[in-house]
Amino acid sequence: MIASLHNVLLNINNKTILDHVSFDIPQNKTTVFLGKNGSGKTSSLRCLNLLQKINSGRIESFGNDPLPMLFQSPVIFEGDVLYNFSFPQKIKKFKSNLIWHDAFHLSDIHQQNISSLSGGEKQKLFLSRVMSLDPNIIIMDEPNQNLDFQSEVKLKKLLFEEKNKNKTIVLSLHDYNFAEEIADYLILLDQGKVILKEQRDMFFKKLKNLKKI
Amino acid sequence: MAYEKILEALIISLNVSIFSTLISLLVSLPLGAIIAIKTFYGRSILIACIHALTSIPPVCAGLIVYLIISRSGPLGWTGLLYTPTAMIIAQSLIIIPIMSSLILKNIEQDFKNYKEELITYGASFYVITKLLLLNRYGLYKTIALIGFGRAISEYGAAAIVGGSIDHVTRNITSSIALETSKGNLDVAIGLGGMLILISFTLSFIVNRKESFK
Repeated sequence: MIASLHNVLLNINNKTILDHVSFDIPQNKTTVFLGKNGSGKTSSLRCLNLLQKINSGRIESFGNDPLPMLFQSPVIFEGDVLYNFSFPQKIKKFKSNLIWHDAFHLSDIHQQNISSLSGGEKQKLFLSRVMSLDPNIIIMDEPNQNLDFQSEVKLKKLLFEEKNKNKTIVLSLHDYNFAEEIADYLILLDQGKVILKEQRDMFFKKLKNLKKI
Repeated sequence: MAYEKILEALIISLNVSIFSTLISLLVSLPLGAIIAIKTFYGRSILIACIHALTSIPPVCAGLIVYLIISRSGPLGWTGLLYTPTAMIIAQSLIIIPIMSSLILKNIEQDFKNYKEELITYGASFYVITKLLLLNRYGLYKTIALIGFGRAISEYGAAAIVGGSIDHVTRNITSSIALETSKGNLDVAIGLGGMLILISFTLSFIVNRKESFK
């Protein structure tokens, strides 16, 4: 296991966001969080990445500091696409991995002002930006939001390529089909509680039984 | 003769107001950004004071500066009283809180939205401040225009510490007051028209700025 939450309780403004949640994130595998809006997927990712203070419980994170991840509402600076893609370089010098950048044809819109981009184009920029750091642990909160069908197919292909490099991938998704395709391990949340956590095949078997109930 | 008086008052007003605007911007940018980003004891009281000072009556600002730089004041030895420098100081005292408050509000909002992602990229306090300040580049022109508009149109502070000395500190507003009291209404109307034109032009430019939030 590379990270885990142990009996984590998270309350925000007197509302229970995570209700004594426990789970493990396996190393070199793809873990997917599923659940409705407000079920606690994003909070789970934030806790795992040391971005959220908890009320009780224990967190074993990926390291001592938060890792770059794809946020639901990422940073948008005034300026063009290139500036928004490359600003992490102003923070820390690193050799950019341009695989995602090139796959999403970001060069074609480098000079466009960020405010003129569609939601899908922005999402491709955010995905490419976080992947330009070539992280060994990939954390993405709803990576397919706003993407059209073709871009989503491309996203799946790119994620599979990363998966084949034996990277640890942690995603939060709404799309059960996407999750079934890519996940090794799944965690279903509802109202801040873990309803189901299993390896893929077992997860979907149990999920069918849950639905019958 | 009237034309010369108007031109001279205009030049003095522009000189004093441009300098006070530039100085205030230089002070307000780091002040607003640091207060917006740093957490320290007494921060909320300091913010409340800055917001409260935005409505400081110009005559009171003038009185404070007068008490400090008058012969018997702590900085009386500088001999600044009744000089354009004294007017610049008094005007800066009026517009620094306005500029700082606007910068603080905008950077604070950006910091709230962006800090987590910037921290995950390994950004230090200095880098975050720099990125957020650069991000609002367009806004500072608007804030500078607001400050300049306030500086050029105020009367009380400049009159108290400037003393309305002919050819030295007699700016547009003090000239209007003087010429009206002397019954030279043609000059007063000319100066008033000039001031209204400047104010309307600035207001028009500021309201056209889309970047201002």
